[in-house]
Amino acid sequence: MSPPRSPWAGTPPGADHADLAALLARVAVGDQAAFDAMYDRVAAPVFGTVRRVVRDPGLTEEVTQEVFVEVWRAASRFDASKGSPMAWVATIAHRRAVDRVRSEQRSADRDRRAAAPMIAYDDVAETVADNLDRERVRRCLGTLTDLQREAVTLAYYGGYTYRQVAGLLGVPAGTVSTRMRDGLIRLRDCLGAGR
Amino acid sequence: MRIRRPEPHTLAGAYALDALDGPDRARFERHAARCQECTREVTGLREATARLAAAAAAPPPAALKQALRAETARTRQLPPVPHDSHAAGRARPRLGVHRLGPRRLGLRRLALALGGAAAVAAVTVWVTASPGPSAGPPSSSQEIATVLTAPDAVKLTARVRTGGTATVVMSHHHGMLVFAAAGLRPLPAAQHYELWLIGPGQDQPAGRLPMPSHGMTGPVIASGLRSGDRLGLTVEPAAGTGHPTTPMILELTL
Repeated sequence: MSPPRSPWAGTPPGADHADLAALLARVAVGDQAAFDAMYDRVAAPVFGTVRRVVRDPGLTEEVTQEVFVEVWRAASRFDASKGSPMAWVATIAHRRAVDRVRSEQRSADRDRRAAAPMIAYDDVAETVADNLDRERVRRCLGTLTDLQREAVTLAYYGGYTYRQVAGLLGVPAGTVSTRMRDGLIRLRDCLGAGR
Repeated sequence: MRIRRPEPHTLAGAYALDALDGPDRARFERHAARCQECTREVTGLREATARLAAAAAAPPPAALKQALRAETARTRQLPPVPHDSHAAGRARPRLGVHRLGPRRLGLRRLALALGGAAAVAAVTVWVTASPGPSAGPPSSSQEIATVLTAPDAVKLTARVRTGGTATVVMSHHHGMLVFAAAGLRPLPAAQHYELWLIGPGQDQPAGRLPMPSHGMTGPVIASGLRSGDRLGLTVEPAAGTGHPTTPMILELTL
């Protein structure tokens, strides 16, 4: 099997965005082949992100499947004026994963995780996707202040709310929300993402 | 009150990270519905979070794709909605992932009320995203939207004999169909694929397919659909013929 091609591999991403957008438009009319092609492009980021957040392998597959059914159902709602297709899919995936984790928050499993939060910044061992991507993100995360980076990664990969992050880091919630915003802006600018 | 709530605007980062729970999330979305700047900022920040997703990429088990085939086959898709929230009449969060239940009736009514005009946004994407040498029939996004949102819209899928899959969405009410295909065999420059409406009377050319891009062809719109028509596809010399000169490689009863 060929390694999953990242939608971000080999910038510029503009062409990739157009490709994915075209695929989504065809998915919107029920084109199964387009759905398969779209899946091949985004499945690794989706699956990897969901797994980071929910942890449990069985649940990861279940949530990933839900994400793609949602993409299939709602493909007609994708609006290119409101962001890239990858951001649209990633948003669905992350939101779905986070909501699932929060709804199961009372489980003992979750409590254990909360006791030992993982800082994703250093955890790159198991991912297989495009090295370039990961390196760039890693490098850009490195330009953030410690608090910005921890706030961003605990929220994104850990699935914590900003209030929970505040508790974990022992910092006021207002400070955390500000750091999250500043950190993401810096990350965005460093990665050359968005406008 | 005594609680020092952060300014809604400073929550844009937390929102983009899905780090707002229940009431916080709802409050931010209410604020963002009236704050264009917030919406724009979240859009930009989500490009950054998407990169965090890309950096976490890991290959899913192969079985997942198979399982999805079965799921999508029985999952009804949503028609496009207007992106102008004023048109919707009631407040619709402009951000985030909408929880969409299978409210078929409501959606159908929506599609009816909106007619074609509403659906353009999604379709525009695809019309502009596949520029190509527009050799195809004049395909207006408005018309495509009309078909896709038609209450009587029916979708058909079929294999093309020489390779590839065709998808047709048609509305008899509007007398139109939308045709798209994937994986059609590439043709030499001197030839093209041509759609035909095959009726009791004469075969009627229904449009030439544009060049494929990334293995995908169309969508194109064909009008003048009569009841009892079948849809055919042939390979024709580039000059155009007016009637099919080669055997049908696809024939669909509409």
